[in-house]
Amino acid sequence: MSGNVILFHTVWFPFAAAFVSYLTGRRSKAARDRVVQFAVAAEFGLMLAAAAIYFQGGEQEFLLAGFCGQGVYLKLDGFRVVYGVIAAFMWLGTGVFSREYFGHYRNRNRYYFFYLLTLGATMGVFLSGDLYTTFVFFEVMSLASYVWVVHDETEKAMKAGEIYLAIAVIGGLVMLMGLLLLYDAAGTLRMSELYDAVAAVWQEKQMQIYAAGGCLLFGFGAKAGMFPLHVWLPKAHPVAPAPASALLSGILTKTGVFGILIVCAEVFRYNESWGLLILGFGVVTMFGGALLAVFSVDLKRTLACSSMSQIGFILIGTGMMELLGEANALAVRGTILHMVNHSTIKLILFMAAGVVYMNLHKLNLNEIRGFGRKKPLLAGIFLTGALSIGGVPGFSGYVSKTLLHESIVEYAEELAELGRSVLWVRGVEWIFLLTGGMTVAYMTKLFVAVFLEKNPERQEEYDARKNYMNKESALALLVPAVLLLLMGFFPYLTMNQIADLTQGFLHGTSPEHAVHYFSWTNLQGALISLTIGAIVYFGIIRRFLMGRDESGRIYYKDLWPAWLDLEDRVYRPLFQRGAVAVCGFVCGLVDRLTLTKTLLRGGMNLGGIACGILDRLHLVKAFLKGLMSFTALLSRACDYLVDYVLVFFRNTTHRSTTERHVYLIGSRFSRVAGTLLDRLAAVLNRTILRRRPIRSSFVVRFAEWEEVIHKTNRMISVSLSFGLMLAIIGLGLTLVYLLWW
Amino acid sequence: MNNACLVLAIALPIVGGALMPLLRLPDKKRNLLIELLVLATSALAFACVLRRPETNFVLFHLTGNMTFSLRLDGLGCVFTCLIAALWPLATLYAFEYMRHEERTTSFFCCYTMTYGVTLGIAMSEDLVTMYLFYELLTLVSVYLVMHPMTRKALRASRTYLYYSIGGAAFAFIGLVFLILYGTTTNFVLGGVLDMEKVGGNMQLILLVYVLAFLGFGVKAAIFPFQGWLPKASVAPTPVTALLHAVAVVKSGAFAIMRLTYYSFGEDFLRGTWAHFIVMSIAMISVIYGSTMAVRETHFKRRLAFSTISNLSYVTLGVTMMSPAGLLAGMCHMVVHAVMKIGAFFCAGAVLHQSGLEYIDELNGLGRRMPFTFGTFVIFGCSLAGIPLFGGFISKWCIAMAAVGTAREIPYAYAAVGVLLYAALMTAIYVFTVVIRAFFPDRGSVTPHPEVTDPNWEMCLPLALFAVATLVLGLHSGPLLDVLQSIASGGF
Repeated sequence: MSGNVILFHTVWFPFAAAFVSYLTGRRSKAARDRVVQFAVAAEFGLMLAAAAIYFQGGEQEFLLAGFCGQGVYLKLDGFRVVYGVIAAFMWLGTGVFSREYFGHYRNRNRYYFFYLLTLGATMGVFLSGDLYTTFVFFEVMSLASYVWVVHDETEKAMKAGEIYLAIAVIGGLVMLMGLLLLYDAAGTLRMSELYDAVAAVWQEKQMQIYAAGGCLLFGFGAKAGMFPLHVWLPKAHPVAPAPASALLSGILTKTGVFGILIVCAEVFRYNESWGLLILGFGVVTMFGGALLAVFSVDLKRTLACSSMSQIGFILIGTGMMELLGEANALAVRGTILHMVNHSTIKLILFMAAGVVYMNLHKLNLNEIRGFGRKKPLLAGIFLTGALSIGGVPGFSGYVSKTLLHESIVEYAEELAELGRSVLWVRGVEWIFLLTGGMTVAYMTKLFVAVFLEKNPERQEEYDARKNYMNKESALALLVPAVLLLLMGFFPYLTMNQIADLTQGFLHGTSPEHAVHYFSWTNLQGALISLTIGAIVYFGIIRRFLMGRDESGRIYYKDLWPAWLDLEDRVYRPLFQRGAVAVCGFVCGLVDRLTLTKTLLRGGMNLGGIACGILDRLHLVKAFLKGLMSFTALLSRACDYLVDYVLVFFRNTTHRSTTERHVYLIGSRFSRVAGTLLDRLAAVLNRTILRRRPIRSSFVVRFAEWEEVIHKTNRMISVSLSFGLMLAIIGLGLTLVYLLWW
Repeated sequence: MNNACLVLAIALPIVGGALMPLLRLPDKKRNLLIELLVLATSALAFACVLRRPETNFVLFHLTGNMTFSLRLDGLGCVFTCLIAALWPLATLYAFEYMRHEERTTSFFCCYTMTYGVTLGIAMSEDLVTMYLFYELLTLVSVYLVMHPMTRKALRASRTYLYYSIGGAAFAFIGLVFLILYGTTTNFVLGGVLDMEKVGGNMQLILLVYVLAFLGFGVKAAIFPFQGWLPKASVAPTPVTALLHAVAVVKSGAFAIMRLTYYSFGEDFLRGTWAHFIVMSIAMISVIYGSTMAVRETHFKRRLAFSTISNLSYVTLGVTMMSPAGLLAGMCHMVVHAVMKIGAFFCAGAVLHQSGLEYIDELNGLGRRMPFTFGTFVIFGCSLAGIPLFGGFISKWCIAMAAVGTAREIPYAYAAVGVLLYAALMTAIYVFTVVIRAFFPDRGSVTPHPEVTDPNWEMCLPLALFAVATLVLGLHSGPLLDVLQSIASGGF
């Protein structure tokens, strides 16, 4: 154990607190709630203390050798300070909110236990200084958070949990394979040494490193919600309790991004082909998520799809960071800031959705419509999040999106200078802007539905709900919203500082000349997006995705085809029918040993025939029998065979004894004559005696007769000899009498 | 330390167990006496390990230079410690489990005798001695499988006997050839083959190795000879747990280690066709066992299939033919012993408390038996190789050994793939149980209002094994260091 222990404290403390809260919960529920809140507050305090240490003493590290095999190596740098604080803050917020949200839930003890376990594991992931440590905590985090997803134990939740667990387990395994390959190639997994180690062996082991990188991307991408592994995201988020959704979306996806960033920055630093790959995935994820969100009519599902889309934005930034090479300041800053923004925004939005759910237990837009009317606090908070994520100037999302947009523009310019085609980069830029517009559109859809429109049936009931959340929850929502506003209004004071602090993690440098966020060129991009957003909202959502039912009420249509589902169409069939079924079938087949059995049976038959022939030849019979019993013993080793050997011998070689026994009835005469008569009788049966066929066998009949004759003969002979004996005795007595007397 | 202690440790349970039926004690006193006997043996065994006798102990001479002799070396220490630690706990568990059974005295008599015989395998100095104990193990333990005396149990015990004796015949071939071509039959790390004698008979020796590998592999349930193990799960749970997850099957794996590293020598075998064959067999067994476990719906049989796959992890590690491979094999031998005996005990506790045998009957049982299923989660996570649990460490070691060997023999990369496939299957067959127990589908909860956790005699071993699994996972450094020095011959 060496280094700064406070890093270790931040990791083990939540684990310990989890057990304490569980044990407390068995006694008193109220005390347990306090313990949990205290624990998350203390964790936040610990993280702030760690941050203070960082600002005074620079980078810190901690090594616990031998823990979990390879040892745990934790590290604290600017990025980790920021994300550690964010993670602790999010847990604090949801922890405060959870008390009211879970007021009437069952199994709260279990929830809080895994809630704190996941906190510890997430801290471990963000503070990890080598990929092994990352992996260890990543797995724990994935599995512990499964319990969140299935918390409601409904059928839907169980199904979502299934896919969540499957993706987590498969992702973890593939990641492990990647780590093994990487470790084998580079000889280290420590992040700070990775770049040099990889560079040293790059020439000869290029393929292996690419394979390792692919595996790691798969593993981390699964957690980040990257296309095509995003399937768990739109399913798990809506069914999980709202505080859990906020964490799943806001912070757990970021652990995946964290891993991808490390792979990009340390293994494939400035590697163009790798950058293109990430960029490609990013574009698809970004656009696909937004498309799903536009079509969705479920509040939390929309937010979940939006998360996927925002992860796409972050991946684009990551790809650009690779492509731009050394001059990637804009991309690095944009990526990190968008991560920070998205975490905070999703915390607010999901908790706001949680407030809706807590009151109505419904999430469908048609049913919750109008709930937010006359609730200015909730509306204000939701609007802050919505405007931020939409990238409206003056809000924090605008800053990070501008940076990302600028980095694309910069790359296009760079390519143009080199005289290469920039068409596709322009394409990416337009998709970027279009998706930005779609973001605005679906957030507008949500806001209009929940806060502006009237509910056709239950508006009065909704308006009457004044105590829709208590003060604690209100505080939990308000504080992050205010922070978000501050970040948006004063980007130079806040966001630039965060960027300066964190960019070292991705080897970024401050840009040569400061970015003016509110200059006309930068505002242009946002305005284009807003225009597109307005067009999408009014032109598509209001026209095609809303309709009137029979009674003339406007409602939201769920037009997304239900069959178009990667999980149901591709993964489940592939997995169940493909992998498991095929292997299972093959093994089952093998298990019944049909193949082996046939082979062995063939072999036995051959051997049996050979032995039979030898037996008939009366050659060294005894020796053969000995050999056979030996082979029988051996072959008994294979269970099934035994029976076959026995059956076989009974049918072939050993049958002869029983056969002989049968023929031993009667004498040769009775057999020959009897068989003759039997055959004759058979012929007669078929021709003349059809009505009353002769059933009995003449062989047996003759044999019985013979037996009778035999017996009688013997009796006669016995009685004859007895008579003779008596006569002799009588003669002897007569003789004695004559001689003596 | 007097080396007669070795003999005492082996003889005490054998003689004690054999004399037990003569005493005709009432159940409670008998149990106490047996527990004391087992504890004393374990204490002796640990004493032997801690203060190892430097010299060997020759019990008697067979013909020529063949001796019947005992000695403790590093590998033997690992195996000795393993069984000496598990046996008293398993016995404790067995008292409660067997309370309502018949013929308990003869059961415990054989159970205790098996302990001595297994110790004998661990402490043998040479192949001849080990072979004798190995045969003896079959004979002693066959009664334990037979014990329920049902038709199924009788059949299973017959199968077990045929497989084992058949396997021993193959192993005997190896023994004979080692006497012919080796310098000695003693176990020496690196092998005892006399290269002058081997000369041009390389191919023959390799063939003999494969035969002997298969022969000893019967007990380790490697692929074509795995049939007896799932059938034998009809035996009482203490037997399936201790013998069919640890003592008997690990004897097989142990014998394979002895054969590979201490008799034939890994340098001799590496890269030959025999190496490919044994590696393939191990891989096929891993895939087979894990897939069949997913298909199986009987709780104990599922665990038995899982044992097949996990034993072949050990074998797979061993067949990497490198010190790292031996290390990985030993590590998984230890870790798997602890977690699988625990998992079996959980299944046994469920069977004992509720009489439920099939997994689809376990809906919601986790709420009724929180302790049992809570520990099962730990064992299950460990089986699935989740970090922080013991199983992860050993799987990591195996994978590292495979990657290391793959530098010379690229075929070994397949082992990594196999491991990942098996880990996925393991996750499926473990988590389906856990999820069923804790998150039953709404409305399908089978009501078992009267079912509760078992009493302390069953819970204590479970708790200890769970703690051991966690400790192995969290703080595996010392264990790995010891195993490392054993594998490199320094211990």
